[in-house]
Amino acid sequence: MLLELNNIFKWVNQGGKRIFLLSDINLKIDEGEFISIMGPSGSGKSTLLNVIGMLDGFQEGEYNFMGESVHTMKEKNRSKLYKEYIGFVFQAYHLIDELTVYENIETPLLYKDINSSERKALVADMLDRFNIVGKKDLFPSQLSGGQQQLVGVARALITKPKLILADEPTGNLNSKQSEEIMQLFKELNQEGVTIIQATHSETNAAYGSRVLHLLDGRRDFN
Amino acid sequence: MIRNYFKIAWRNIRSNKLFTALNIAGLAIGLCVCMILFSFVNTELGFDKMYSNSEDIYRVNMETSEEYNFETWATMPNAVGPAIAQDIPQVKLMTRLIKDDFGATASLKIGDKNFTENRLYLADSAIFKMFDFKFLEGNSNDAFSKPKSIVLSQSAKIRLFGNQDAMGQLIIVNNINTLQVSGIYADLPKNSVMDIDMVYNIMDTWMGTNVYWSNASYETYLQLEPNSNVSNLQNQATGLIDKYVDKDNQYFTKFIFQPLTEIHLHSAHVREAYSSKMGSITAIKSLLFLSLLVLLIACINYMNLATANAQKRAKGIGINKVLGANRRQMLSLFYVETGIMVFLSIAIGYAVSFLTLPLFKSITGNELSYQDLLDTPILIGLLIIWILVTLVAGSYPAISMSNISPLILVNKSKKKGSASELIRKGLVVFQFAASIVLIIAVTIILQQMAFIKNRNLGYDPNGIVAVSVKSAETEQQVESLIKGLERLVNVESVSAVQSMPGANESGRSVYKMATDGTGLPIASCRTDGNIVNTLKLKVIAGNELPETIPEGDSIIYSLINEKILNYLDYKTPEDAIGKIIHTELGSMAIITGVVENFNFNSLKESVGGYMYYKSRKAPEGIRTLLVRYNTQDLSKFMSQLQQTFNEALPNTAFDYQFLDRHVAQLYASEEKTASTATLFSVLAIFIACLGLFGLAAFTAEQRTKEIGVRKVLGATVTGITRLLSKDFLKLVLVAFVIAAPVAYLIMRNWLLDFAYRTEISWWVFAFAGIAALCIALITVSFQAIKAAMANPVKSLRTE
Repeated sequence: MLLELNNIFKWVNQGGKRIFLLSDINLKIDEGEFISIMGPSGSGKSTLLNVIGMLDGFQEGEYNFMGESVHTMKEKNRSKLYKEYIGFVFQAYHLIDELTVYENIETPLLYKDINSSERKALVADMLDRFNIVGKKDLFPSQLSGGQQQLVGVARALITKPKLILADEPTGNLNSKQSEEIMQLFKELNQEGVTIIQATHSETNAAYGSRVLHLLDGRRDFN
Repeated sequence: MIRNYFKIAWRNIRSNKLFTALNIAGLAIGLCVCMILFSFVNTELGFDKMYSNSEDIYRVNMETSEEYNFETWATMPNAVGPAIAQDIPQVKLMTRLIKDDFGATASLKIGDKNFTENRLYLADSAIFKMFDFKFLEGNSNDAFSKPKSIVLSQSAKIRLFGNQDAMGQLIIVNNINTLQVSGIYADLPKNSVMDIDMVYNIMDTWMGTNVYWSNASYETYLQLEPNSNVSNLQNQATGLIDKYVDKDNQYFTKFIFQPLTEIHLHSAHVREAYSSKMGSITAIKSLLFLSLLVLLIACINYMNLATANAQKRAKGIGINKVLGANRRQMLSLFYVETGIMVFLSIAIGYAVSFLTLPLFKSITGNELSYQDLLDTPILIGLLIIWILVTLVAGSYPAISMSNISPLILVNKSKKKGSASELIRKGLVVFQFAASIVLIIAVTIILQQMAFIKNRNLGYDPNGIVAVSVKSAETEQQVESLIKGLERLVNVESVSAVQSMPGANESGRSVYKMATDGTGLPIASCRTDGNIVNTLKLKVIAGNELPETIPEGDSIIYSLINEKILNYLDYKTPEDAIGKIIHTELGSMAIITGVVENFNFNSLKESVGGYMYYKSRKAPEGIRTLLVRYNTQDLSKFMSQLQQTFNEALPNTAFDYQFLDRHVAQLYASEEKTASTATLFSVLAIFIACLGLFGLAAFTAEQRTKEIGVRKVLGATVTGITRLLSKDFLKLVLVAFVIAAPVAYLIMRNWLLDFAYRTEISWWVFAFAGIAALCIALITVSFQAIKAAMANPVKSLRTE
């Protein structure tokens, strides 16, 4: 088992009232799964992804990740954990505008103190694999949306994470680009990477091995 | 890793053109000013440290008695030096130093050419060893071995002799003293109080040989044995007063050994020194303070602009954090960026400082050369400034931004604004408060300068030229000159005097009783001619001085001012007329008239006692003609004047000074303060405006959506401009409230230096406030109008 959420509650106080963003979420995810989280806007998809990605906290409940209890962990260890095992892919790609394709992909390696020759090899592999060698010196603004997301995925994969979290990865793409990205996810999943994606689209959700429905912060089993 | 930081930082700098330009401009201006000032301060602090025995050289100062208000004087009787050198064995070398003719301009005659000279000194021969004179011709041992020798600095030699050989040539000083050139020395260091242009042997004159303990006119320098106990020796020297001077004649009570290296900057309280190179440690301190203030304002700009930019940068930080960057790495990224920016600013500022050096010189009147900007301490200083400014300016943005959570990427959490918003506002308030203080200060300084210039001095210095006749060969020459001048159409009146007001009067004392030990120190000035008419003095009792004094009349006719009158306790001015006045002039002095007080000294001092006297047997000579003229064509008049002068005194250099300029000269240092303060406040305000401009741009950008919505709902351009400007103007108001009392206190203190001062009036504050407000409004509204004019469809779509 990769991770487990037990009775997770997350809320914010607004005008003296508690507004629940997540309530009573229970979830077990095994390695190698490809999960799609679906639900309307505001149902808590992103929040759940952020909690799983340890970017955001929660008020109640337990979260175990690879046998370690995240909810009792200090901030510092938590960020160490997610940096080690989790890669993120965003709807808005979130590439660093000032860096080239090559440098964007290389950045996570820099933060892991990997030496220069190894970095070169890893980035070259990744460029090869995604067929973007010819674009390595371009800046994000010179790429199409689909290409940018490709770089985003490549960057998420460069540190060989166990888990990829993708928040509406195709939300800004047209249908052809979407399909390419989803195809890519499928391949990655077949290679053993666990993927959790949040999506609006039934088509995309169908790529997953399991679909999770959310409504108003709760799991919706209907 | 570090390479990557540089890459990101550099690309960030380049992609944000406005931000970068504003930042670099602000920092570069601040740094340029700082560098110029630091090199100025560096030169000032380096004064007199170049001599091989600098550490052991002292100037003897003396503390006077109560009669002279316990003033400290740099000049003393010529007996002091020899006595100290003789009685205190730790004194290795001693020299007295006095300007020729007590500091009056000398007239030099070489062949048939006349020159004027202001820095002709007399000294003992020890001066060459003490101050490391480097002889280019002749040598220090033989320079004074022949009587009547004179040595010249290289530049003096070139001025007087050009490329011709000067050794052995004769120079006639003031038409009485013929000296022979016996040596040429390399010019003394620029940053030394020793401003000797030429020097001859004091032992060739009565000044060196005829030692006495009364008249104090001689500076005295000592070189002590290394590691001497200075305070001990100082006490020994003071002990000599009792040994050599009668109790009754002790008008000085203590000798103080002032280290040579402190003379330049720490002599504000020391009077009567000869050197023209006097600095002031307070001026240095205030310049340093001002430059640090400007630098701080520039740093604040950087912080402000950087944090305002945070919203834009937040995404990048979030991504980096998600990709595994930690806080420390983000801190380094920001510091690297700041470091690059500051480096660019320093490079630009440094380059610009070379270009603006002449401007700086003309505004502040401070001497500074390009070489001074290349001095090692300055280069080290640059490095220190670089590091310091990077740390200070980079601190707040780096710390606040490295804290940004990666959540910024996913749920647009922008709530982290309030604290940094407050700090940013605080910084703007600080900048503007500082600017407003400067505006107020400058206004009051200028007001005070105008007040001084327009104040009725009690005499009219305008339209008077003072012509030196002290080097006339005979009295007949002077008389014929006076006659010649009186014939000129544009001359209204000519008075022959010992000194123009406040220059070379004789210090005397007025006693209530002939037997009194102490009296009122006054300035006494011999005159022939109608001084009341020439200076436009106002007689309040008695008469002017008689036009002629018959043969055999030994009375000393005197004209006193109210200050003396009051000291003498006469009930009315009329009571004083015809009474004897007790001074060192003897018992024949009679009060002929009383004039209104007039400010013969700077208005920083209150009026002192002043006495004009006329006598057939005057102890002082006639040295100056005061010529009151009335002409539209001054240059023509001056050439007529010179022609008349040359006809009457063919062997004397024509040396003159306009009295009004002489008076203005008294406030030269205040003028300098005024122009320096003006320069700084303009710069401070400009830099603050750069920051405000950037901030307004970012705020407008931040509120693009709000503006769009408001416009769709029907807001007008004026309405939106007002909305955006209002917040900034509030900050300026707050700044004003803080600045006004601070400025009031500072300036009230500054004005205390003047015996006569202007009132600090409310309108100065109103003016400063309104000026700051207008400047801020213009800066901000530019951005606000731009934002308000934008098409709302565009701004709403981008969100």
